[in-house]
Amino acid sequence: MVPYEYYVALSGLLMVLGLIGVAVRRNIIALLLSTELMLNAVNIAFVAFDMKLADVSGQVFVFFILTIAAAEAAVGLGLIMAIYRLRKDVDTETLTELKN
Amino acid sequence: MSVLQELVAGIGIPNFKVLIPEIIILLTALVVFTIELLTKARFLITVITALGLFLAAIPALTMEQGDITFYGLYSVDTFSLTFKFFLILSTFFVVIVLRPYLESKRTYYGEYYYLILFALLGMMIMVSAPNLVTFYIGIELASITIYILAGMFKKDYLSKEGAFKYLILGGTGTAIISYGIALIYGRTGSFDFVTVADSITQSNLDVGGVAGIVLLIIGLALKASSVPFHFWTPDAYQGAPTPITAFMAVAAKIATFAVILRIMVEAFPFAYEIWNLGWALLAAASMIFGNFVALKQDNVKRMLAYSSIAHSGYILAALAAPTDVAFTALIFYSLVYIFMGLGGFIFLSALERQYSWSNHIDDFRGLAKRSPMLALFMLIFMFSMLGIPPTVGFFGKLGIFLALIGSDIWWLAVVLVVMSIVSAGYYLRVVIYMYMHEPISSARFNLSLGESFTLAFMATAILILGIYPTVFLDISQLLGNFLIQGVGR
Repeated sequence: MVPYEYYVALSGLLMVLGLIGVAVRRNIIALLLSTELMLNAVNIAFVAFDMKLADVSGQVFVFFILTIAAAEAAVGLGLIMAIYRLRKDVDTETLTELKN
Repeated sequence: MSVLQELVAGIGIPNFKVLIPEIIILLTALVVFTIELLTKARFLITVITALGLFLAAIPALTMEQGDITFYGLYSVDTFSLTFKFFLILSTFFVVIVLRPYLESKRTYYGEYYYLILFALLGMMIMVSAPNLVTFYIGIELASITIYILAGMFKKDYLSKEGAFKYLILGGTGTAIISYGIALIYGRTGSFDFVTVADSITQSNLDVGGVAGIVLLIIGLALKASSVPFHFWTPDAYQGAPTPITAFMAVAAKIATFAVILRIMVEAFPFAYEIWNLGWALLAAASMIFGNFVALKQDNVKRMLAYSSIAHSGYILAALAAPTDVAFTALIFYSLVYIFMGLGGFIFLSALERQYSWSNHIDDFRGLAKRSPMLALFMLIFMFSMLGIPPTVGFFGKLGIFLALIGSDIWWLAVVLVVMSIVSAGYYLRVVIYMYMHEPISSARFNLSLGESFTLAFMATAILILGIYPTVFLDISQLLGNFLIQGVGR
């Protein structure tokens, strides 16, 4: 059996990838995807810790995170639609008007 | 017996009596939702929302017997009831100024009202969480609702942009908070504050525990818009409709401060050295950055957004000292910030409806000649944020200062005082523009009843509390001691 540390390491890696994505990506859809990636990394961490603790409350927490990620994606896609309708653009460099 | 009956007989029925404020808010939200769907009667929706808030405030204020209910997932006590009452109060003032603003900006949606109520429900769940799961649900219910509220300005691009930035950074904060919770769960095997507090002590701190606490602090700092995690704050605040900005800057912030205090004191009482240092650094950065950037803002709404970052710094500075004096100071400052923050933002929301008002600092020229009363209100709000006696902001800062000195954290106390002096640069600038410049236009101001009442109430409350702060000090002291007694239950 694969030890649980491997899964925690994988979740940490995905989390860092998501953070890098938020920092460097310029497409607003990719930004939203990066936040979803981070939330899914957390799910892996919870399940891995459940494996270590032989418990189920972590798996219950995963359901909460799934629900919240879905709600956030819905709101985010709605905002992307609204932004695209107003500007016909998805690039953060050209979209940014609020500064200083 | 059916399966359900057996289940209920096995674990007992939750005590719903202590949840009356939450239930009233939820029902009001559903009623407003239905009415908005069927009739579009704007005045009726406002009245029902305000009535629901009023009805929910009464049990929050008068409840005598608290309880830990829902099988240890929800705790109703003095701390949460007090904060619930003040959250309902600030939401009430936002609701009564909302309709004139939205109508004059041609962006009226009935959805604003029940979304505000759902956000309030999330904050109420947040402040009464004895468990990381409840806390997470509450903070997400509040955050996701506020993303929608911030982006709901009709056909206005800036609002969407601010809301999207808030969503991306808030979503990152959510992920970081949940990763912190995952690490703490993996380290202790529990979500319950008391069990976590027993498992993580000074002697057995390891990488997992420390990383969990640090990630939780980073995520919470992001939600409380503390530097260096503040990027979303000025944009989201500037883009959102101004009464919603007031809601975000006051109600959401107060709930976040309350939950930060609660988590730190109840879940990690024996690891205080880590969070003391963490919050001290974050607070110092917020005070310095917020004040210096606010100095060069010409848009007063954006200036107040930066000033709210600086105020997060002042409030969070109290967490640098793990004493009851510091907790008292934090609670007192958060409670009185309601009056200053609401006053400042609702002043802008009332004036934004007037002819050719764009929130630019030049619009404030000669305001004292055009309307002496309004100028006096703004003067009181500015002096209170700056901390000049006899306004209540002075006692807020004094409390934090004394708490820091009492624990020998001189460097942070010095930063607080110096940054308060720097902040005079932009608060007094508004006052100077109002009183020492000639007006460019002489158009009269036309305020609705709700707006005049709110501004007068906030200004009076600031002055009365400034002269007679005893009641609020007593409440804060009670809550601070309550938190300390809860440690090691």
